Amino acid sequence: MAVKLIVNGEAYEAKQHESLTALLEEMGIGGRPVVVVLNDEVIPTASRGKCGLREGDSVDLFRLVGGG
Amino acid sequence: MERQGKGQDEWIVGGHRFSSRLLMGTGKFQDAETMVGAVLASGAQIVTVALRRIGRDSREDDMLGPLRQQRGITLMPNTSGARNASEAIRAARLGRELCGSPFVKVEIHPNPHHLMPDPIETFEAARVLAADGFVVMPYMPADPVLAKRLEDVGCASLMPLGSAIGSGRGLATAEMLRLILRDARIPVIVDAGLRSPSEAAAALEMGCDAVLVNSAVAASGDPVAMAGAFARAVEAGRDAHRAGLMPQGGGTALATSPLTTFLSVEGQ
Repeated sequence: MAVKLIVNGEAYEAKQHESLTALLEEMGIGGRPVVVVLNDEVIPTASRGKCGLREGDSVDLFRLVGGG
Repeated sequence: MERQGKGQDEWIVGGHRFSSRLLMGTGKFQDAETMVGAVLASGAQIVTVALRRIGRDSREDDMLGPLRQQRGITLMPNTSGARNASEAIRAARLGRELCGSPFVKVEIHPNPHHLMPDPIETFEAARVLAADGFVVMPYMPADPVLAKRLEDVGCASLMPLGSAIGSGRGLATAEMLRLILRDARIPVIVDAGLRSPSEAAAALEMGCDAVLVNSAVAASGDPVAMAGAFARAVEAGRDAHRAGLMPQGGGTALATSPLTTFLSVEGQ
């Protein structure tokens, strides 16, 4: 059953919500170097596989880009 | 990149040793290949990067992939985009997780017209991040009083601007930089506004520890070649500083050759 999340400020229905790793895979960005913030908390990469998602959770995703 | 004979002129920031005194930004490049080529040509060991949100199925290339694989390069995330200390602190923590390095360039410029750094928010962010174990490198106005305050709260270096970001107006703040240099006990890195390698050389000649350039390389006609030119200019400026520039005359000329009129016979 899908879980309603807020991803990068927008509503998102996640089918894969048993872990952040699964969510990233579902979003097509698994394996990319990103940092995940779950409900305002930075989640270490090593913890992503164990971190499940619940209805209403807020997920923000960031990556590195060129900059001065 | 190793250069012969430079091992003894290393500089230390936040407990980390570096031999290159040229820092590079990675913004504004046409493509990843040019950016990586320029960074390698520059010999830079500290390279700044920025943060951006990533969405689903994002197809944007990971421009930084090749850089991460280079040994001897420390990625330093900036907090560009942050409008205040709180946002900069959050950005710094994201950057630390992504880069695995304690370095952060605190960059808070809320006004896009002039991109001047906010001194109050920068001070507050620096204070909190230094206490949290970051190697804080604050992008700051060239203000000697602020410089001392930032040093006192634990910044690892000072990064005063030469002139506005991307303006290419060079060392407009030279007099203020001299005042900062006079009292600073941490490295001073001129950041922003440089356009030509000679300006980078001038910064090193006056005693700055390093310079950071981005637009000057990325927006030049040949970024890879320009990066190499900056690298050589920084070395020249540093060597000149160590050699000691000749004293400036007091307004009168001082001949280097004898003033005898060699064409006339002596005694007549």
